Amino acid sequence: MNRAEMAAYTTDFIMETVGLTMIYRSGKVVVPALLNVDLQVHAGEFVAIMGPSGCGKSTLLHLLGGLMQPTGGQVLIEGIDIAELSDAQRTEVRRRKVGYIFQRFNLFPTLSARGNIELAKKIHGNGHVHPYQSEQIIEMLGLSDKINFRPAELSGGEQQRVAIARALINHPAIILADEPTGSLDSRNAQQVLRVLQSLNEKLNQTIVMITHDSEAASVAGRIVEMRDGQIFNHHGHLAYEPELEGLL
Amino acid sequence: MAANLRSRPTRTFISVLAVAIGVILMLIIGGIVSGTLNEYLSRTIGVGADFMLQQSGASVFYALSSATLPEKLALKLKEVQGVGAVTPILANFSSADFGLVFGIDLASYNQFPGRLQITSGRGSLTGDEVIVDELYAKLHKLRPGMSLTVLNHSFTVSGICRPGAVVRVFVPLKTLQALNETQDKVTFMFIKAAPGADVSRLEAGLNDAFPGYRFRSTKDESMLLADTKMPGMREFQFTVVIVSMLLSFMVILVAMYTTIFERTREIGILKSLGASRSFIVGMILKETVIISGLGVLFGIGISEVARKAIISAFPTLQVSMTFTEVLTACVLGLLGGALGALYPAYKAARMDPVRALTYE
Repeated sequence: MNRAEMAAYTTDFIMETVGLTMIYRSGKVVVPALLNVDLQVHAGEFVAIMGPSGCGKSTLLHLLGGLMQPTGGQVLIEGIDIAELSDAQRTEVRRRKVGYIFQRFNLFPTLSARGNIELAKKIHGNGHVHPYQSEQIIEMLGLSDKINFRPAELSGGEQQRVAIARALINHPAIILADEPTGSLDSRNAQQVLRVLQSLNEKLNQTIVMITHDSEAASVAGRIVEMRDGQIFNHHGHLAYEPELEGLL
Repeated sequence: MAANLRSRPTRTFISVLAVAIGVILMLIIGGIVSGTLNEYLSRTIGVGADFMLQQSGASVFYALSSATLPEKLALKLKEVQGVGAVTPILANFSSADFGLVFGIDLASYNQFPGRLQITSGRGSLTGDEVIVDELYAKLHKLRPGMSLTVLNHSFTVSGICRPGAVVRVFVPLKTLQALNETQDKVTFMFIKAAPGADVSRLEAGLNDAFPGYRFRSTKDESMLLADTKMPGMREFQFTVVIVSMLLSFMVILVAMYTTIFERTREIGILKSLGASRSFIVGMILKETVIISGLGVLFGIGISEVARKAIISAFPTLQVSMTFTEVLTACVLGLLGGALGALYPAYKAARMDPVRALTYE
């Protein structure tokens, strides 16, 4: 990598945190969840964030999506520090630039697969030009024959693919995935991971994914490891044994 | 929205029903009050008199006025140029029938266009005779010659007249005066101008000639709306409206409040998708409008059925259901619901998205 490429690499962040700190206070009890976290994500990157329970992964994801306001530091999405924005402005940024995927799918049970996807378009507003038509996304994710089914009529993998379609429909700058395979069996988990990998590779979709599963993390281009509210390893092998986590 | 309502059918139905009950209350109770009074006033106008003479300050509702007019005033009025006919009336409220009984002098009463039109029996009203209208006769299964107790006095039905007269029960003026111990006193008088007389000038002339009395024109349209002037009536109608609105308000408040708690996680999802506060408020208000709208339609439908049933069961009772009254009930039903949804909508809009997403 030459100097120019290095400069471009270091400045071309679609998402960046600078000294991001989150401290929960409840009366006299002070719980530091994140301490001075510096994380950079490039456009088109697929980043997996791993770490044991309580290390601050979920807090980090909520802060990246503007669902919470940090107690310190910055969260920059395409250069906008959302930590400085009002609740309404953060909501606007989230609506325009972020797509969420949850462990428990979080689909609306009363709506069909199409209804869930269309709801995201509706929230986005009519003025926005949708780069993808619902049908294209649905076909891409192999949901064409299930589009009128309600979540209860779909398998876990299918529900998660609907949730991915919902996150993708408004062409967000970044997709934040919170344990997307956490509620799936291995076959469905593989299917969902292939979808995410394909979105990243074919559509250059930026993805930040939280996971406990090292296999799931392996599909990402970069693995970020967290412990005690801090990032301590950006790539390379895992510094902890995720399969032992449940036993500890 | 519709899917959300369908997914909770029992609560949706109860909410719709509660709004409907509010609308029914407004339309039926309010309708009975205004219908009966307005019908009563329109029948008064139907007598065909040009003026009503009352003691100054007396209520248009005869039962609320005491018998303070001297009967002999009728003779003086007849002598006034331009006066065609005068008939003195003593009104008395019969609590047994919840209606008025008129003591009349049949001969002078029948000089008016709205005279009693006898359909069976005789047009006679002396001593202990009573004339009732067809609706009253039907309700009490009366025929000429039968006895009828009115004001704790036994009368004999001499005739049955067409409905449309001011009241449904007429007794001789002298008999009622004796029963009331108000000899030579009456409650009011109907006055008719002579053919060709200038009614406006006559009214001015009468007011000048008889200070201390009130000559009220029966052509005055405001008489039809006089129910709003009856003491306590406006307060009563206001109370019915407020109770109805409160019903809609409270039910929607509770329904929507529990809904947003049940749907806390869904609201969290909406927020994570970037839904603004106004979007969430709008969503809840739209659901409320659907519930309230269905309630209003349901309420109007039931009210119409109830109105017909009431009129069929109680022919003497009138239930008014005008377009304005229906429109008012619609607006108030929707307004009560919308107000009830405001606080839950506000709570939902301000919900912490992270807490909402982790809500079980």
